[in-house]
Amino acid sequence: MNNRRVSVWLAALVLTSAVAAPVALQAQQETPVIGIADARTREAVSRELDRAASRGLPVRALVAKAQEGVTKQAAGERIRAAVTSLARRLEQARDLLAPSPSDAEMIAGADALAVGVPAPMLRQIRAAYPEGQSVAMPLDVLTELVARGVPASNALQQITQLMRRGATPTHIAGLGASVQSDVAAGLTPDAALEVRARGVMSLLPSPAAAAALAPRGGRP
Amino acid sequence: MTERDPLIERVRGTLCDERRVAPEPQAVARLLQTVWASPRPAFWRRALDAWRIPALSGLAASAIAAAALLIGFVSRGAVTPSAASEPTVASGSATGEFPVRLAADEAAERLVPTQFVFESAAATTVSVVGEFNDWAVGELPMTRVRDGVWTTTVPLPAGRHVYAFVVDGTLLVADPRAPKSGDADYGREGSVVMVFAR
Repeated sequence: MNNRRVSVWLAALVLTSAVAAPVALQAQQETPVIGIADARTREAVSRELDRAASRGLPVRALVAKAQEGVTKQAAGERIRAAVTSLARRLEQARDLLAPSPSDAEMIAGADALAVGVPAPMLRQIRAAYPEGQSVAMPLDVLTELVARGVPASNALQQITQLMRRGATPTHIAGLGASVQSDVAAGLTPDAALEVRARGVMSLLPSPAAAAALAPRGGRP
Repeated sequence: MTERDPLIERVRGTLCDERRVAPEPQAVARLLQTVWASPRPAFWRRALDAWRIPALSGLAASAIAAAALLIGFVSRGAVTPSAASEPTVASGSATGEFPVRLAADEAAERLVPTQFVFESAAATTVSVVGEFNDWAVGELPMTRVRDGVWTTTVPLPAGRHVYAFVVDGTLLVADPRAPKSGDADYGREGSVVMVFAR
């Protein structure tokens, strides 16, 4: 083989590898490694993961749920049930947070459903922010408030009111952090939420001020 | 002025004086006959020849390979152009109970260093497990900083995270300093840390 031919074949080989390497890498990243000892459970969970992937659900959350069961030494049947149940919640959250929720939003929605937040409330949270702005943090804070014993309707009302008045996810996160500190210090979750929501509200411009500050068209 | 080499001068003179010699007609005819008589190359050979490209220099081949790799990795998301420029400015705080805060603006994707603390005088090893590391035991080992106090700091995305400690490789323990998570799936509750980026 002459030098010219060797160069051509070498170039072709390098180009093929360059295109194939990312594909192989991606396939490796997408292949979850689950340490389930029981072969039947492992297969069932794998099927559930495939199904979830085909429906556009965040597979990583399901893998974590299965691995959690392994670490907690749960029985195979229980792991399978937990993964199936989470897949169902993720799918429900995806539909409730339509049209195009991110993975983080679907996971936050599924967590909210798991602690008992009524499903329609996810729609209300989604509607409180413009489309395209993530509602993952408001959902996380809602979940945590409900998990600490704040009635879901009360928590939802306070959070969506703040969102509609222009509170950012950072404001909402601050609310969650403050309530958490107050509860740790002995205040009831309900009282802490009311006080802290008032505090965040005072940081936001009033509707009248916001309207006055808004740019007006038609004038030089 | 340089001195001229007599040998070079003689060669130059010879070449300049030489008359053009026409090729011998019989020889040309013989050569053409041989070419026409040779068998036609196979189809695959002709197809290969049609696509033959000029040999590449080492530099050109490297440049093409690098460009192809970059395009391949970026288009498939294996390399994210902005991933390297994530600032993380934070100081850790106690585990679970209070979140770690950042100077950065709201960005859920940013990783916030979050410190976990566990107290156990009897433990020989302690690690932290949670959704953030797929509950992999031993992947995030904690360090004993003084008698019975174990700690580690883990970069976490903003949001709500469920976790637990694993003592001596098997015993799963919730964080006594943090709110409990509840666990309807497996019946062994962990703890919750809310991570906020500011």
